[in-house]
Amino acid sequence: MILGDLLDAPVNDASGNRLGYVVDVRLVLDGPLDGLLAAPRLHGLLVSPRTGTSFLGYERSGVEAPALLARYFAWRHRGTFLVHWQDVAEVAPGAVRLVDQFRRFSPALPATGRQAGR
Amino acid sequence: MKKILGVALGILTAIGGFLDIGDLVTNAVVGSRFGLSLAWVVVVGVVGICLFAQMSGKVAAVSGRATFEIIRERLGARAAGANLGASFLINLLTLTAEVGGIALALQLASSVEPRLWIPVAGLAVWLVIWRTRFSIMENVTGLVGLTLIVFAVALFLLGPDWSTLADQALHPRVSAQEGLASYWYYAIALFGAAMTPYEVFFFSSGAVEERWTIKDLSQSRLNVLVGFPFGGVLSVAIAACAAVVFLPKGVEVSSLSQIVLPVALAGGKLALAVVIVGIVAATFGAALETSLSSGYTLAQFMGWSWGKFRRPARAARFHLTMIICLVVAVGVLMTSVNPIAVTEYSVVFSAVALPLTYLPILVVANDPEYMGEHVNGRLTNAFALVYLVIIVVASVAAIPLMIVTGAGS
Repeated sequence: MILGDLLDAPVNDASGNRLGYVVDVRLVLDGPLDGLLAAPRLHGLLVSPRTGTSFLGYERSGVEAPALLARYFAWRHRGTFLVHWQDVAEVAPGAVRLVDQFRRFSPALPATGRQAGR
Repeated sequence: MKKILGVALGILTAIGGFLDIGDLVTNAVVGSRFGLSLAWVVVVGVVGICLFAQMSGKVAAVSGRATFEIIRERLGARAAGANLGASFLINLLTLTAEVGGIALALQLASSVEPRLWIPVAGLAVWLVIWRTRFSIMENVTGLVGLTLIVFAVALFLLGPDWSTLADQALHPRVSAQEGLASYWYYAIALFGAAMTPYEVFFFSSGAVEERWTIKDLSQSRLNVLVGFPFGGVLSVAIAACAAVVFLPKGVEVSSLSQIVLPVALAGGKLALAVVIVGIVAATFGAALETSLSSGYTLAQFMGWSWGKFRRPARAARFHLTMIICLVVAVGVLMTSVNPIAVTEYSVVFSAVALPLTYLPILVVANDPEYMGEHVNGRLTNAFALVYLVIIVVASVAAIPLMIVTGAGS
């Protein structure tokens, strides 16, 4: 499987109801050292209920300018949630199915020092 | 002293480099049909290109990334690929128009058929790109392009009725035989001529070529904020010349010889020679910029090494892209298509494609991970949002207006 198979894929819950589309994936750099860098690990999927288009970076809580654009993207992606990779039951061609009792997490990325402009 | 000279040179080349075949043709056509009643669009366009060029230059200087690298990073491969397709094709159309413009100007000087000049012009553009240093290329075409000031001189020599011109500019009216749809169609064309996307590809990539840092930002801001408005004044002078000579007689400008006729009437052979030199320099400079832009956009999207600061062998695919684009442009022109018509389409499609590059630059100019403390201020963002609306409206309205007005005819 490559990342391109996941992006834009529709997401269903265990009983087959449509939850939304994969708009992004979150990776964590905490794997074993792979050459110089820690190997990335797939932490979870960002699922947006209405659209497969991008957040353009406005999922980070430290980025809110220009205000109108930030509001627009927040509104367009309202209801977006992060689901952990463990809660993904199956990636079938054309759809991602989640486990029965998956948990929804906030999609926001906390601001880092650089993002706060310091 | 050296610093003052540097600033002066930057401003002068910004003035001379502002005008290209799109500005020349669109302003003259608009002047002959609508007088100065669309001069306000030039003001809107100049403020817009100042804002956009300044933002993309700042992003390039701070993050070291040019426009299409950013678009690829922010939009992802698929959306950025669609964006590239549109921007690349429109840039190719503009390149075709510029090479055609060189040939038409050389025809005026020599009475030799343009189709004999077209391959010569294409070859000359390629040789300069292949051999000449970036800064020399920019400064020479920009400074020689300054001779287009002769349009402003000609306007004074024509001795127009200034109050009529001022009245057209300050109280825009649409004459009965033109109609509202054509008026707005040409408003979008003028806007697209002032705010062509290639200027931004070129400006941001040029900032990387010349290794700008944050320290160079104040100089670049000065070049843009002083140079481009003076370029806009020249645009209005071209429209005013056409308005004085052609509007009362009801003649519509449709060839380069008509564009330069007011200058010849006012200043005789010498002025005509000067204006032809100016047009060759302006179109040649813009042909260089659009050829380079074709290489920049594709290479930045694909992640190829690019730039004139590398020897051609070190950026082979970048140079190959430009060669292919020049061959295509020359090939299209050899079919005897009218370069003036190509120009008129290219400025309108420029307006259509503008949001594709404007939005990603605006988003990244606000992203602290790229920009650190140099993110846009509130005032810049307020202007930028107003222009986002203008750009999107112009882009959406352009094609319906083109269909309704039969491309302005």
